[in-house]
Amino acid sequence: MKAKVGAFTAVVGLVLATVGVLAHHSFAAEFDANRPLNLKGVVTKIEWSNPHTYFYLDVTDPEGKVVNWGMEMGSPNGLMRAGWTRNTLHVGDEVTVEGAQAKDGTFVGNARAVVLAATGKRLFAATSQTETPQH
Amino acid sequence: MRNHLRGALLSAMIAVLCTAFLGAGARQPGAPGAQPSSNAQSPAGGRGRGPAGPSQPTPRLPDGTPNLGRVPGEMGVWNVPYITNMGERVIEEDGKTYAEKHPPTFGRGRGAPVAGRGDAPLGGGEGTTGGSGRGGAKSEPQVPFQPWAAAVYNYNSSNNSKYDPEGYCLPPGGPRLMATPYPMEIIQLPEQKRIIMVFEGATHIWREIYMDGRPHPQGDDLNPTYLGHSVGRWEGDTLVVDVVGFNEQTWMDYYGHPHTDMLHIVEKFSRPTKNTLAYEATFDDPGAYTKPFTVRWNINWNSTGQLTEYICQENNKYLQRLTDDFGQPIFGKKQ
Repeated sequence: MKAKVGAFTAVVGLVLATVGVLAHHSFAAEFDANRPLNLKGVVTKIEWSNPHTYFYLDVTDPEGKVVNWGMEMGSPNGLMRAGWTRNTLHVGDEVTVEGAQAKDGTFVGNARAVVLAATGKRLFAATSQTETPQH
Repeated sequence: MRNHLRGALLSAMIAVLCTAFLGAGARQPGAPGAQPSSNAQSPAGGRGRGPAGPSQPTPRLPDGTPNLGRVPGEMGVWNVPYITNMGERVIEEDGKTYAEKHPPTFGRGRGAPVAGRGDAPLGGGEGTTGGSGRGGAKSEPQVPFQPWAAAVYNYNSSNNSKYDPEGYCLPPGGPRLMATPYPMEIIQLPEQKRIIMVFEGATHIWREIYMDGRPHPQGDDLNPTYLGHSVGRWEGDTLVVDVVGFNEQTWMDYYGHPHTDMLHIVEKFSRPTKNTLAYEATFDDPGAYTKPFTVRWNINWNSTGQLTEYICQENNKYLQRLTDDFGQPIFGKKQ
């Protein structure tokens, strides 16, 4: 069952990731699909707004240093069609984020999917990225 | 509960994919997995296509003209396909568009890459039939660029559309309105002799098409605008719209095909079946192109959809980060 769920979400993830559903400005101008991100952290701030919703999370590295990352997602109307509401994410929630880092190497990324640790729920971020990384 | 949600999510996403990529030339109304369960409709209407089945005839208004919008008592919106490169939608000498000849395959890295225009395998790219690379003007022999227009297009290709006016939350005009990631509606008001088109995307805008036989304003009375001045008429079951008076603040598409204020567009809208809007537009811009060319794609009806609000301007952080080619901020204090 677990393997089936994994395969299912992998297929769905691949399917969604190839569609430029909600690109507003150019993904490729700011983010690098070859700098994939997989971050675990605690949400510190949420901006539920157009043209992109942002949320920020504190990520602790193995040495214990905390870095605050900013993640860009799609617009509220796009997110709602992907199952989000403005209250899906709260400050203090533990999440895992998959996405791509900014080209300039700053602590900024474009989110492709977010998993809420409390429920295990995985939501796609109505992202503008359209290519899954090759790894 | 989880099973239902997964099934609904998969159906909705496949429907989105089919809409985004199969918009052009899609003949069959059914698509794999496009049958959403009754739980698939979110309050915002989702992007599901409603149940597939035998195609239904063109709905009509009481006076017999085709109804390009909602049937009374029902909901529905046009699921505009996200098209980023108009060059792939140009009708070529063989009567077909590149997109119709190369429908995209799903997934990435499956099988051998196909050498299309541009240079990347099918299946990637923002809203194109394939290829994440941008081949520039020389990869699009079907687009009759003048040399300066080709140079501008190459520049926009080289910096990944960094200066796209839509990234500034400015509205596009012309066929790009029918190529955004968000749905639209057509509202005919025959008693008022006009048609209103309402767009969730394209910066949440509307356009007005005069159906009262008026001419375009001439000379200085024609003030250049983002959407131009639109006059329309019915030719049989086809709505023909003639548009002039565009300003030069917009790009024809996300990839950055330029145009001038000499642009003259003739659009054709028809609804051969209830679920299909056949869209065609001829670009005639002697300022940027050596001859007119025509683009076309189909748009699917989402029978349960509704438009939601989208106010692009409210928190455009991209503009705060945007720099020019010399590294100076576009908005804000110069260094």
